[in-house]
Amino acid sequence: MKMGKNWLTSLVLTVGVGLLVSACGSGGNQAASGGGTSEKVYVVGTDAAYPPFQMLEADGKITGHDIDVMNAVAEAAGFKIEWKNTGWDPLFDGLDRGTVDIGISSITITEKRKEKYDFSEPYFVANQLILVAEDSPVNTLADLKGKKIGVQGATTGGEVVKKAFGDTYEGLKEYDDMPSAVDDFFNGRVDAVVGDNGVIQYYVKKIENKKFKLIKDDSFEVENYGIMVKKGNSEIMGKINEGLKKIKENGKLEEIRKQYFGDE
Amino acid sequence: MFFRGFLNTIMLTAIATVAGTLLGLFICLGKMSSKKWLRWPSAVYVELFRGTPMLVQILLIHFAVIPSIWEAFFPGQKSPEAIYSGMIALSLNAAAYIAEIFRAGIQSIDPGQMEAARSLGMTKGMAMRLILIPQAFTRMLPALGNEFISLLKDSSLTAVIATPELNYAAMSVAKSTFERYPPYLTEAAIYLVLTLFLSRVVVRGLEKKYSTR
Repeated sequence: MKMGKNWLTSLVLTVGVGLLVSACGSGGNQAASGGGTSEKVYVVGTDAAYPPFQMLEADGKITGHDIDVMNAVAEAAGFKIEWKNTGWDPLFDGLDRGTVDIGISSITITEKRKEKYDFSEPYFVANQLILVAEDSPVNTLADLKGKKIGVQGATTGGEVVKKAFGDTYEGLKEYDDMPSAVDDFFNGRVDAVVGDNGVIQYYVKKIENKKFKLIKDDSFEVENYGIMVKKGNSEIMGKINEGLKKIKENGKLEEIRKQYFGDE
Repeated sequence: MFFRGFLNTIMLTAIATVAGTLLGLFICLGKMSSKKWLRWPSAVYVELFRGTPMLVQILLIHFAVIPSIWEAFFPGQKSPEAIYSGMIALSLNAAAYIAEIFRAGIQSIDPGQMEAARSLGMTKGMAMRLILIPQAFTRMLPALGNEFISLLKDSSLTAVIATPELNYAAMSVAKSTFERYPPYLTEAAIYLVLTLFLSRVVVRGLEKKYSTR
């Protein structure tokens, strides 16, 4: 393992990120309160552990595809936003409570979520992929029956597995974040990972010396990512859709997609 | 799902209790030993596991230590599942605390007991085993009970590495239903019943049984 040599680097990075995050945090607050205007700054929550859609850089900045999209939307529609790395579950909770105004975090628009939240027009089309070992005989989701499957909990990846094998399927391992599930796949603790194409393809590029393959099961439904707000919050939703429409028309959205995913 | 989680929580706690007690006893004896090469590592062990958060220990053991060991000794083999990482982390952590409980218990016994036992011709080991540890055990019981209860509760931390225990079950239900009260209240109630059982029945029962007065 690479750990031996790199632990010092990791340590330095960890300390560095910690310091910078706290520094940025206070900086952001000042900007929000010291502006002098009464203009509303919307808090955008995200779970910055889902590269390349949203991730935390070593300098504490949140970057990624969704971040660029949201910034472009806000700019096009003319409203101010402030980023908050909430994590996945607290993001939904924050919207319920009003501590977060907008959520963008590769959130698939589903019927179930629509019952509790309002979604913008789609800004990204995704489908699920299965990550398995290179020499695995698995060809479809159904072949995974009886095997251990890692997913990020409360994501559509988990839902397709539950739909296929039942809500209490013993082999399902729900992780808090995608990288943990992928790590445990490479450590051999799960036989497969099911997740969104954007994220899984990102690992194909990142981890070149590892052996694995990606499977697309045609039974998976195409998914759309949307920007989420609390149900009934139509004032803000109108602005988001307006901005989204603008960046779709002027090609900015496509430009951002290409920047992260090329011409796939 | 809750039932499977319940069984796993019990198993995690039981294994960590037994393994932690055994390991703790050795570390305690090591710490009290007159030999420096035994005393020193034992003291470092206790400080290491008592001085770092359990959550960090679990993550470190699961994602870093065990995969590295597996890579080194069994190349190409699959790393053991999360539940084993959980067991190991809990046992190692418990051992550090239990070692200190043992030490406190043994040192609370009047040194005259050791001197008397030695003057009867017992070896140091015999005196420990037959005279000091049985007396110390009575005094250690309340503190041990405490440790087992916190061990039971701390096992919930292993949910972060997807160990299918009670807290994982509750989190999973909460995540997929967006309902927060029902799963977490159920979970809390189960833990409460378990800890009440541990403190009222098991620990108090033992205390009565081994009471000296």
